[in-house]
Amino acid sequence: MLLREVEYVKPSSLADALAALAANDGARALAGGQTLINVMKARAASPDVLVDLNGLDELKGIELAADGTLSIGPMTTYAELVGSAEARARPILGEVCAQIADVQVRNRGTIGGNLCSNDPTNHLPPLMAAVGAELTIAGEDGERTVPASAFFLGVYMTAVQQGELLTRITVPAGKRDGFAAVTLGVDGTCIANAAASLDGSLRIALGCVDAVPVLVEAGSPDDVRAAVRAAKLDPPSDVHASGAYRAHLAEVLAERAARQAMR
Amino acid sequence: MTTVAPQVEIGRSTLGESVPRKEDRRLTQGQGVFVDDVKRHGMGYLHFVRSPYAHAHIASIDVSRAEEIKGVYGTLTGEEVAALTDPFFQIAGAPGGQIKDFSLAVGKVRYVGEPVVAVVAETRELARDASELVEVEYEPLPALVDARKALDPEAPVLHDDAGANLMWEGVYEWGDLDAAFAEADRVVRIPELHFHRFNSTPLECDGALVEYNRGTGQWTIHTNNQFPGFAAIMMGPAMRTGLDKLRFVTQDIGGGFGNKITSHPQLVVCCLLARKLNRPVQWTEWRTDFHLSMSHGNERWFRETEVAVKDDGTLLGFRTKALDDAGAWLRYEPLGGVIWAQVTPGMYRWRNIRVDFTQVATNKAPVSPNRGYSRMQHLWFTERVIDIVARELQLDPVEVRKRNYVRVEDMPYETPNGCVYDSGDYAQMLDIALDLIGWDSMNDRRADAAARGKRLGVGIGSTLDSGTNNFGQSRLINPELQFSGNNEVATVKLDIFGEIVVTLGTTPQGQGHETTAAQVVAEILNCSVDDVHVRAGHDSYWNSHAGFSGTYASQFAVTGLSAVKGATEMLAAEIKKLAGAVFGGVPADALELADGGVRIKESPDAFLPFMACGAIINANNAGLPDDLGVTLNCRYVYRPPFQVPDVERKFGNLTLTYAAQIHVAVVEVDPETGYYDIVDYAAVDDCGKRINPQIVEGQVMGATAQALGAAVHEVFSYDEDGNLLTPNFYDYHVPHALDMPRLQTGYVESPSPFTPLGTKGMGEGGGAGIHAVCAAIQDATGAVVTTSHNPYHRVWELLEETA
Amino acid sequence: MEVTVTVNGTAYERDVEPRKLLIHFLRDDLDLTGSHIGCDTGNCGACSIIVDGVLVKSCMLLAVQADGSEIETVEGLADGDRLTELQQAFSDHHALQCGYCTPGMLMSATALLRANASPSDEEIKKALQGNICRCTGYWNIFEAVKSVAR
Repeated sequence: MLLREVEYVKPSSLADALAALAANDGARALAGGQTLINVMKARAASPDVLVDLNGLDELKGIELAADGTLSIGPMTTYAELVGSAEARARPILGEVCAQIADVQVRNRGTIGGNLCSNDPTNHLPPLMAAVGAELTIAGEDGERTVPASAFFLGVYMTAVQQGELLTRITVPAGKRDGFAAVTLGVDGTCIANAAASLDGSLRIALGCVDAVPVLVEAGSPDDVRAAVRAAKLDPPSDVHASGAYRAHLAEVLAERAARQAMR
Repeated sequence: MTTVAPQVEIGRSTLGESVPRKEDRRLTQGQGVFVDDVKRHGMGYLHFVRSPYAHAHIASIDVSRAEEIKGVYGTLTGEEVAALTDPFFQIAGAPGGQIKDFSLAVGKVRYVGEPVVAVVAETRELARDASELVEVEYEPLPALVDARKALDPEAPVLHDDAGANLMWEGVYEWGDLDAAFAEADRVVRIPELHFHRFNSTPLECDGALVEYNRGTGQWTIHTNNQFPGFAAIMMGPAMRTGLDKLRFVTQDIGGGFGNKITSHPQLVVCCLLARKLNRPVQWTEWRTDFHLSMSHGNERWFRETEVAVKDDGTLLGFRTKALDDAGAWLRYEPLGGVIWAQVTPGMYRWRNIRVDFTQVATNKAPVSPNRGYSRMQHLWFTERVIDIVARELQLDPVEVRKRNYVRVEDMPYETPNGCVYDSGDYAQMLDIALDLIGWDSMNDRRADAAARGKRLGVGIGSTLDSGTNNFGQSRLINPELQFSGNNEVATVKLDIFGEIVVTLGTTPQGQGHETTAAQVVAEILNCSVDDVHVRAGHDSYWNSHAGFSGTYASQFAVTGLSAVKGATEMLAAEIKKLAGAVFGGVPADALELADGGVRIKESPDAFLPFMACGAIINANNAGLPDDLGVTLNCRYVYRPPFQVPDVERKFGNLTLTYAAQIHVAVVEVDPETGYYDIVDYAAVDDCGKRINPQIVEGQVMGATAQALGAAVHEVFSYDEDGNLLTPNFYDYHVPHALDMPRLQTGYVESPSPFTPLGTKGMGEGGGAGIHAVCAAIQDATGAVVTTSHNPYHRVWELLEETA
Repeated sequence: MEVTVTVNGTAYERDVEPRKLLIHFLRDDLDLTGSHIGCDTGNCGACSIIVDGVLVKSCMLLAVQADGSEIETVEGLADGDRLTELQQAFSDHHALQCGYCTPGMLMSATALLRANASPSDEEIKKALQGNICRCTGYWNIFEAVKSVAR
């Protein structure tokens, strides 16, 4: 429960936040804190400076464009997304966010934090990969946009480099999505999960089976299991599941997510 | 909630009524006082440096960098501990008794998380900062994690003093095994069963605030230890001090479940540092510390089991080899090696039993009592045997149980090892449970589940909750020990203004002792429960403290309340004696207690309120007869009727009462993933006379929830290097609100013929939930369930077996 | 750093280290020991409080992050000696045993009932999912919350 010493700054603009992050290699952005603070309690991470993004309105909010595209500020909390009328344009987003952790965590935890922490058991990395989200990253030198499929680089690693921030999540229009998971208890941590989206063909992203979401494509739900097998998954084993069990779940859940998307 | 039971006739008495708990007012307002809430001027915060290795020599320790930090008050190392204290007393004889257990690691570490150095500083954060600057050089050794390998010649040896990893072994044999197996139609063989490692994870972890009084040499230990009597006899000799110098104080405790019995090593460290640094020392154990190091439940293997059965399902006998994993130290062990024998034949009429019991040390956290301590492991075993036998003989598990349950007409029933089951009708309980769950419609439900792509399974868990230990059973472990019987104390007095003040020897952790004690006092003094003031918590200076005082082992309703009853009856007699004298020689049997005072039955106007009684004795006593012999301050020690067991035959009554629980679980398994939900659940309890049914039912529910958590998710799992893989609530998933199934409860009341109030201790019958879930999974998958822990991936493996 | 907060209507100003968690600030600096600590990982909810109307776990917030906020804790629920309906219902339904999780549980239930005066059984369970109780098995807690739902 006892963190190492840390400095705390609360910038009042995105530019100030980026400057604070760029000024110190040991600086880290503090979003909802529902992961980072716990990591700091364990002293598994001990940033020199926490740059608190709470209060940056420019990183909040959900906008729905005329073509159905959703633009989500990364500091939007799960609870805000679940309650957002705009976000219902892509219903799977709210459905999945409502399953994450618990009320208190959903009240503080943010969409951007979930993506940027890229814990392989998180819900949103595979979901964003399946729905084909695009992620805008800003640094002091400007901004760039990468597809979700290129955003996740490794366990706890994303395309957001030191000194940068995720500033926008863009989700294209669509409704035919699915998500399936086996969790540790009801709505608990994912043991394995899969998100699927129908956009011509089925795009399926598998979580918990590799450092980053694994994307597979299939023509129909009947082809999904074969497609997953062809991906030759080699998932990690841990106290909650063997690699073989996860590989099996990946097939089952991929098919279930796909069938949900086809409904 | 459905309650199925004959209504008990209740008169004016509150015994048997769910009177509201006295504790709730403070606890619902955040006004409880838990150990971490206690502060003292100038106190220092203690943080332990813990071993990162499961097994290693300590080459060197350097605390100098830590001590240089401003705000660090000081440190304590194992070397200092070894100089200042003696090793803790060992319950075991040789070989386990030869190990040398100190409160910090000396020379070697034996599990990940073992305390190595203690650092005390001005703030909590600083103490932890400084602990990171303590330099400990380790020379890692191979780790022993699997108890089944502990006795291999090449296994690393934890304790050189013991020569090997064998801590204790004993053979228990009763009846005539050869005859039983000769008579059997079949012998059912079960190669290996495994009861897994978990504990009840009370939400509040351990802690203490220790003050040392230099002038008197006395330590005041504010702590949430739940068995101060045990802590004292461990700590006093180790610290080379009389027990009078160790004052234990507690108010509210945030759950215990047995897991807060063996914090004595940490308390010794706090005591030594409070003296060394001449300031109060505060220690709070954090969740990860608790998971790494405190009171894991006994992990046990049952190997080469053979069961002698008749074709009709009659059970004649069994033999098995029990292998118990004690972890790195024997903090309460090897008592687990005998405690199970309280329930040797489970709820069944097995007469011929042999158990070869072996306990070994491993490089894992030390085990200690956990709700259902040692009996739960054994009862899980007997229930597994029943269901495996039923499967093999293709008999209905209900019929096998009913054919073999100890019958109501056999009560009191003497088991093959001399324990006496006091009362109960197990078959009736099972019928109630089956009725609650809708047993007759189960085939329809199976079909309904199948239509939804699920496999339904139903399982029964029968279990005993033996309470009020005869500590003489420790002699079956070590004949040299001088413990036997049991005791508990209560003091009841009338204070100067007539307040009824009750002091208990117990250390409740949510069991509502203040309330039920008040009910018993009110019954005898014929007053309102609201008029009875029961002191919150425990203080060994209150003179309501005996050698076995504490709250553990399902006994308060017997030991605690019988002490309250005894003390209150003494007080009632004294009040009458005083009133008789005041009224000018009226005999006691002409007096009665009523309306907050005492009066003459025949002329009720002659009334002496309690206030007058208290005032006369305490403040206005001139002229009372010299030989009155009344203090209105009555202390009573309840001592259960026990004999010392026969050590040679391992025979005798090991515990006074036998509450029983029968649970039925219904699960639905997803055959593709192994994921399952417990969709319906029934629990039927019989704990004899219920003083406060709501509190009893609360215990039934809570124990059930813990069992469901243990059956599905909870496990202290180690990797091959001895690292704990579930050191927090993130990986050690305890049940949440959404995980709870629909629950129906029922009860039967079979008063104990052996206790003053007809009560039986209870609260530890929850193991039934583990038994029931295992049986339900066996039913759903068709595969033999061989472990008590069946997470989804394990169920998937079972499904693969039968695919 | 300077931190100014209002807790249960009382204003406090303290100098704290940035690393101090809000729960430690409440318990150790303000002596408001009603909120508890039961884990290291944000799972147990014993530290649940309401900050600016939002239910949070105070072990996953720094005290400095709460600067300027209005905080409600279990100590502020009762009106003097008069328990809230919910607190009374917890006692009536035996929804607490050791009482260690109770403050956090009450705050979660309070937040639920403010937002939704007539929650369904499922909504009650979902609202309490972030609070671990090791004593009761939750069933009596559900009953208590249900009893005060409209």
